Amino acid sequence: MEELILTSIAIGIKSVIFIIGMFLLAAYLTWIERKFAGHVQQRPGPLHVGWHGLLQPIADALKVLTKEDIVPSGVDKVLFYLASLLAFVPAIMILAVVPFGQPVNLFGFEIKPYITDLNVGLILALAFGSISIYGVIFAGWASNSKYPMIGGLRKAAVLIGYEVALGFAMVGPIMQAGTFSLKGIVEAQQGLWFIIPNILGFVVILFAILAETGRTPFDVQEAEAELVSGYNTEYSAMKFGLFPLAEWYIATFVLSAIAVILFFGGWNGPHIFGPISPFVWFFLKLAMMFMFFLWVHWTLPRYRVDQITELAWKVMLPLSLLNILVVAIWIMIFG
Amino acid sequence: MLWTKQDDIAFIGDNFESLKFVDNEKLPYFEINQNELLPFLKEIKENPNLQFKMFIDFTVADYPLHKPRFQGVYFLYSLILKKRICIKTWAENERLPSLTGLWKGAKWAEREAYDMFGIQFEGHENLVRMFMWESYQYYPLRKDFPIEGIKDTYLPSLNEKPGSMPSHDYEEYHTAIPTMEDLEETEKKRIQKKAQIVLNWGPLHPGTHGTIWFLFDLEGEKVQNCDIILGQLHRGVEKIAENVTYTQFIPYTDRMDYISAICSNVAYVNAVEKLLNVEPTEKAKWIRTMLCELQRINSHLLWLGTYALDLGALTIFLYTFREREKIMDIIEGIAGIRLNSSYIRIGGVRLDLPEGALDVINHFIKDFPTKLEEYETILTKNRVWLKRNVGVGIIEEEDVYNYGLTGAVARASGVAYDIRMIQPTDKYDEVDFEIPLGTVGDSYDRYLVRMEEMRQSLNIVKQCVEKLEKLKDDKHIATDNPYVLPTLDETFISIESMVKDFNLRIYGEQAPEGEIYLSGENPRGELGFYIISKGEGRPYRTRIRSGAFYNLQIFPELIKGRTIADAVVLLGSLDPVVGETDR
Repeated sequence: MEELILTSIAIGIKSVIFIIGMFLLAAYLTWIERKFAGHVQQRPGPLHVGWHGLLQPIADALKVLTKEDIVPSGVDKVLFYLASLLAFVPAIMILAVVPFGQPVNLFGFEIKPYITDLNVGLILALAFGSISIYGVIFAGWASNSKYPMIGGLRKAAVLIGYEVALGFAMVGPIMQAGTFSLKGIVEAQQGLWFIIPNILGFVVILFAILAETGRTPFDVQEAEAELVSGYNTEYSAMKFGLFPLAEWYIATFVLSAIAVILFFGGWNGPHIFGPISPFVWFFLKLAMMFMFFLWVHWTLPRYRVDQITELAWKVMLPLSLLNILVVAIWIMIFG
Repeated sequence: MLWTKQDDIAFIGDNFESLKFVDNEKLPYFEINQNELLPFLKEIKENPNLQFKMFIDFTVADYPLHKPRFQGVYFLYSLILKKRICIKTWAENERLPSLTGLWKGAKWAEREAYDMFGIQFEGHENLVRMFMWESYQYYPLRKDFPIEGIKDTYLPSLNEKPGSMPSHDYEEYHTAIPTMEDLEETEKKRIQKKAQIVLNWGPLHPGTHGTIWFLFDLEGEKVQNCDIILGQLHRGVEKIAENVTYTQFIPYTDRMDYISAICSNVAYVNAVEKLLNVEPTEKAKWIRTMLCELQRINSHLLWLGTYALDLGALTIFLYTFREREKIMDIIEGIAGIRLNSSYIRIGGVRLDLPEGALDVINHFIKDFPTKLEEYETILTKNRVWLKRNVGVGIIEEEDVYNYGLTGAVARASGVAYDIRMIQPTDKYDEVDFEIPLGTVGDSYDRYLVRMEEMRQSLNIVKQCVEKLEKLKDDKHIATDNPYVLPTLDETFISIESMVKDFNLRIYGEQAPEGEIYLSGENPRGELGFYIISKGEGRPYRTRIRSGAFYNLQIFPELIKGRTIADAVVLLGSLDPVVGETDR
């Protein structure tokens, strides 16, 4: 009994730390994105609030929190409120199963840099990812407006296509590691990273993450030239702020983390940074991944929604199935 | 000469009894009775030796003392004669036959004539207002409509109490404004909901680049039917033109196509100069040509940036604005104003080129091709870009003639219609350039044509700079001519100039009686000015043939059966500017 209470408290504290950390991180991811976009576009980006705009995210957060929260008349109130939460909460819940490093011993305590290590971790992550679709659909429906509805339905069509491809693409690493636990998958990559036989799966995952997080070649749900702002047109203040925060930053970050874990060996790497070297490696890989998405986002034009779904079903799904075949043969040969 | 004369169509002349030819020096025209108009037009359109297939413009002029009162004026272009024809006909009982059976492009022009003059068109499929809202009672371009409007709507002040002393001279009666009911009625008249939902785009919407109001009848995301409500930016420029002198109207031409103000200036001033028989100086002609082409690059850069922005490529927008800014600086340095520069004057240009202007332009000429390469690397072979553009909105060659499409839109469909070639003004006959032509006529071709046009424009600018460097000491405005305003220096030095300045500014240029139609190649198509002069200081009627207005007309046809996402692509590739479509 005592142990249960202690574990609960420990997990509670850890969760709070993770959530607060994720909020701060997401805020600063916006800063990174704005700086990155700025330099891609040959302008400096945020520059005036703090040193090189370092306090800009805080200012933005204050602004978005203190803005008047307008709820249009004629909306379905329950779903309207629920939608912004449904978009945000599942995205941050995926964090529960993402390990950021090996357990370390600090002052005699064993600190695990993850909330929990479930043996169905990957499936849980996929499930939470799927729930966030409801947020978008509810937002589109409850707004009682035409642009959000079209945006929400577009996003749903895209997500359904890519969820399938995403799921199949993850099968390769799972087969090699023999476990759904993300920690287990990382530990299985002590030698060779799973990118080697799973290169096709990795390509599919890249596309799927772009589509899931609504980044540029696939950002049809908020194509601002067509749908004003897509499914979040009627939202304002923090309810509006949660959508991009969840979609563009937290989801991109978490899915990048999962991709790193699946294909690039997680925190594995030479121990050249001493005891913190797993963290350094993990975040280095993660940052590279995140930057890659930003780079794509700020370069390419966007597809049309039917072209995206076509790509999902006709190219990505067969590719992910082919990947399974390749990995199966790999396992048969190399064991 | 670009105008068809008696001899050209003599072999069909006998069939039409009422056909008359009036050989004006500036604008020779044919006059025909209303009942013979349609057969005559059909004959000259379909006769293999004439082929007046391309619809240029239709307009109406109001002569209150004449009976019948209204005269319709048609402009057509022949593909094999390479000539235009002007046909006039009097509207008996304020009715005219509709041309929509022969040219689809006449649809909007006739609606505009109905809107502005109240002429009924027999056989028009949906004769509703073009710019004004339904239930508006007046016809603004009629001569008996006062320029200040008819103040018939009671609009009390919101902060004045009845009976109290008014704090300012607030008038309680105003010109009519549309109410919500009026707008709803306007919308209903344009489109009947047949499919699932009617999606409104506009009047303010990020995708429309201005205040156009699109109505899409949607089935899922497929557009079943589409119509456009114009007029949110209608300022009655043609009415204003009748009430100001020729010089005073120049700033209004800036504000029509505000993206390419100098091109509009030049097109207008050229028409007026031809009417007044003014010959601008050599240097002025070269400066005009150079600035027109710089403005064309400027306009195409804005088009490219916003087009890519609409398609999601945000970065291109800032890249193109980087170069556009340089051209803006050049224009600001020369004209003093960046956007609406009003730099062109009758007889020349307002100011001489400042010192160092040519050096800056030379630097730009060296720098720009590499930047153009940069845009092309990001877009031209980009798979996403290809997927979005190739095969979208294919315009057939026949449709170009049918709708009177001009500019890059026509050239992308393989029609070599470029005013700079067929009727060169300024120095276009002395510079060397090519007209890029498309093959398919889809959005991608329009993109490629505009990209190549920028290169050709740069080439023209280069030739102009070389020429201008030799003309350093020439005069920039032909002030010897009695119609040309003297420069400021001259006004201060000589009393004759001051008197001339006073007369021209107060009474306007007393243009000889006559008519003129002259057009210029704007970045958005043919911008034509049809000016009727009655020998006064103000034009009797000015009709502005806007390229964007006619180009936009094909949009509802092209979008049918395509998705909303393609609407952005199509609109971007047709590239209308609302200031010019609405005027």
